[in-house]
Amino acid sequence: MTQTQAPVVPGDRVSLSGAWSTPSTHKPTKRAGLPLGINIFLYLLPAFLLVTVFLAVPVLVVIALSGTDWAGIGIPQWVGAGNFVRLFSDPAFLKSLGNTLLWVLVGVFIHTPLCIIVALIVARKPRGWKIFRTVLFLPNIISATSLALLWYFVFHVSLGLINASLTLVGLESFTRNWLFDPSTALGVTMTPWVVYIGFGMVLFLTQISTIPQEYYEAAQLDGASNLRQDWSITIPLIRRAIALQVLFVVGYALRSFEYPFVMTSGGPADSSSTLSLYIYRQMLTANEYGMAMAAGVVTLIVGIVLTAGVFWVLRKAER
Amino acid sequence: MTAMGKITRWTILIVFTLITLLPLIWLILSSLKTNAEVFSNPFGLPQEWKFSNYSDAVAAHPLHLYLRNSLGAALLSTVIIITASMTASYALLHRFRLSRLTFSFLLFGILLPVNALMTPIFFIVNMLGLYNSVMGLALVYAGLFFPLGFLIVKTYMDTTPAEIFEAARIDGASFHSIFFRIAAPLTSPGAITAGIFLMITAFNELLFASILTTDADAQTVQVGVRYFLTTYSANYPLAFAATVIGIAPTVVIYMILSDRIVAAMTAGSLK
Repeated sequence: MTQTQAPVVPGDRVSLSGAWSTPSTHKPTKRAGLPLGINIFLYLLPAFLLVTVFLAVPVLVVIALSGTDWAGIGIPQWVGAGNFVRLFSDPAFLKSLGNTLLWVLVGVFIHTPLCIIVALIVARKPRGWKIFRTVLFLPNIISATSLALLWYFVFHVSLGLINASLTLVGLESFTRNWLFDPSTALGVTMTPWVVYIGFGMVLFLTQISTIPQEYYEAAQLDGASNLRQDWSITIPLIRRAIALQVLFVVGYALRSFEYPFVMTSGGPADSSSTLSLYIYRQMLTANEYGMAMAAGVVTLIVGIVLTAGVFWVLRKAER
Repeated sequence: MTAMGKITRWTILIVFTLITLLPLIWLILSSLKTNAEVFSNPFGLPQEWKFSNYSDAVAAHPLHLYLRNSLGAALLSTVIIITASMTASYALLHRFRLSRLTFSFLLFGILLPVNALMTPIFFIVNMLGLYNSVMGLALVYAGLFFPLGFLIVKTYMDTTPAEIFEAARIDGASFHSIFFRIAAPLTSPGAITAGIFLMITAFNELLFASILTTDADAQTVQVGVRYFLTTYSANYPLAFAATVIGIAPTVVIYMILSDRIVAAMTAGSLK
């Protein structure tokens, strides 16, 4: 970001409002003191408006109104920390928070290792590796809504692929109503996300392709097996990509909405609800806008803490 | 490589490929069956290929409107983001007081779990009078996804050698003409990458589309497809056909441009 320094041009022909009548202040000096020109301001304005209206203001509003009781009309009543007390004594919220953190854990400790394993295999360029890469990435361009619908049918009790397959191979005793069984609903909503490893795989492949081939040649001379090379050379050298993947996992887990919303509606009995779904419900079903804002604040805080945690671990690993 | 290792590797690859493809193939086949056959013959080819499921699906719900709205919101938000990213990146090529702070401000949303903001955004859109409109949805997408597009475009524009701008300036080119004739054209590959990524992301969005719209004139495919599940639970093939229609636009583009799209979807992530 620092390598380019094109100074503001004095005597701008298309100048608006004549603010460029003092060209002496626009000498191409090195770093210091170029005043904030009208042109720069105008060029920044669209971006500034977008970020202000749809990101900055919402963050301020969600914090400000999280301490109020508000049904959407009338004046919000200040209740201080009341919403947060209510949130943390609401079993549905605690379940949603716990489930979201479980999404993070499953993403980090099951999904990410799967991505790494497949990336390590594809990186050795077996026959047809490009086809595998293309096919495995495919789910990333399909909407999560459609994928959730698809997996709803996969797990569907009467016409689902899973139950039909189990019946086909004579394991009828294992068939169940996956989507409406409190012990399986959460796992079922996570499954599509866990098994679609395409994005992480490509992320790791990109980083692996930057590792010099000589490292592997040297290891081969020392008689190191493929597995040994992957473990001792590749994995340490893709730690940045791993950190990035974990950041994506955290981001996705906190936004996880489509799978529980479409497949189970968060049920049965909130067993598969997530923070996003909880906020959605507080807002549109319960009309508890203050509670929805408070839950939003908790989501933001969880996001900031986890993100900071990833950076902290990465910094330790870099040392 | 040992034989054992080889078998393990191929098994893993094939298992993941099947997990990815089998449900999709099953979906397409099922969308061409009768409702009865979906239950009686879940795995086989349709005995009678019912292409009429597709026309029935379009007749049952205004899918063409949903598609139009999805494409409209995706296209509009992408154009807004690319324009704003280009001009902002260009402005930030110039050093000024607070330029670093401005950059951080424009990017701060990139790691934010934006779903946490659905309540305030719902009210802001209402206050702006944009509730239940494609325009409102496009603007919300433009705001939420701006940091992602901006990062890609800015990173790309920053690779333009400073000498090019310097030379143009010495030749007497104005602030605006340097942008329109040099900075913007040279950044177009980055803008296209960002554009592909943003179009797909916006087209596939569900949460904000479902809280900000209520009727078919503004609802998107992602919202509309669910109606087939709730109102047509008796006729699954129609729901399958609608899902296929909802998936088709991105999948077709992916088949044509897969390498480009894989690169675009992961762009800006390894910086």
